[in-house]
Amino acid sequence: MMEGEAPEFLDLSVREILTEMKDISEVIVDLAYAALMFDSEDIAQKVSELESEMDNLNYAIKIKTLMAARTREDAIQLSGMLQVAAAAESISNAAGDLVKLQSVDIERRPFLSFMLRESEEKIRMITVSEKSDMINRTIGDLGVEAETGMRVIAIKRRQRWIYDPEPETKLKARDTLIVRGTKDGYERLAEFSSGRSPWPEYEEE
Amino acid sequence: MQDLERKLLELKDNSELMMDLAYSSLLYNNQDIAEEVVFLEGMMDELGDEIQEMVIDQSSQGGEVMKSLVVLRLQMAMEEIADAAASIADVVLRGVPQHPVVQMSLRDADVVISRAAVAEGSDLAGRTLGDVKLSSISGMFAIAIKRGRKYIFGPSHATRVETGDIIIARGPEDGEEYFAKLASGEERAPSD
Repeated sequence: MMEGEAPEFLDLSVREILTEMKDISEVIVDLAYAALMFDSEDIAQKVSELESEMDNLNYAIKIKTLMAARTREDAIQLSGMLQVAAAAESISNAAGDLVKLQSVDIERRPFLSFMLRESEEKIRMITVSEKSDMINRTIGDLGVEAETGMRVIAIKRRQRWIYDPEPETKLKARDTLIVRGTKDGYERLAEFSSGRSPWPEYEEE
Repeated sequence: MQDLERKLLELKDNSELMMDLAYSSLLYNNQDIAEEVVFLEGMMDELGDEIQEMVIDQSSQGGEVMKSLVVLRLQMAMEEIADAAASIADVVLRGVPQHPVVQMSLRDADVVISRAAVAEGSDLAGRTLGDVKLSSISGMFAIAIKRGRKYIFGPSHATRVETGDIIIARGPEDGEEYFAKLASGEERAPSD
């Protein structure tokens, strides 16, 4: 595979690798559906990148766990962990397969948008108005998901994309957010992102 | 296409629920939840077979081949996700103790899994998940409810929460505390 090259991610701990794999396994599926829904090659590209990152993570965790096994008990426990890691990797492969459907004309996959529209938790786009008091604050500081149930999976800022944004990511006026969550949550977020209602503030406890 | 669309939607929602349940079975080392994942995997297989038959049927009657291909590929990708979830559940069902790092990793993740018992007098008790809008007020999305010895997996808007229920939900870390307090009755749900 990567002959002569030191495998990536070996400097991370097993715990960090596994956390990263779980995170990717969740966001990559959302991104894959978002790519299809909004017919975005940029998002599809990110899915491919995450997919190969996942391969490397899985490779790294295999090496690390093999080195860690000393006894039979170790081996039994670690094999369970490797099975979980392999499952997370399969999920990312499935996401990779999903975005391949993009090569098909959008008119030939009409049921896709139906499916994504009718899901229990939907993926949608929402724009942050310059009137919104969400601007210039970070996602983590606002607590966007805790407050509205909407998870920000990507942000489009002018021509640039930010995927799976960090809590430290600041929102800017006219950012387009790709969010995932329920209808109620979307409506609630729309109140704030449009500037119709101020972002709720709570007293410090 | 109607029926086919509905089946695909069910596949999608199921595959996502399975992922959530699989990770929670692992976090709590819970065999009941793991068994449900395996059960759902069987359902996914059946549904997948039905979809394949329908699609091939439509194609052979002059339906558009490209459309059929998209449906088949979608179905296979979702099946792959379901299989992966079942494979995680399988680790739990084997019944050997988990390596402690597994639980630690799951707790460090961006999306956390949390559970809370609904106390008497809580704003959640006696109301449906849709009425309380649990997800949009706390960020925590209910994936299972344990009532007595039974579970309700993948509860819907219409599912009524009762006193004594244990709600298993996933969401952001900063939603956990409010969710716990909402369930205990220490915090009230906003009235609107």
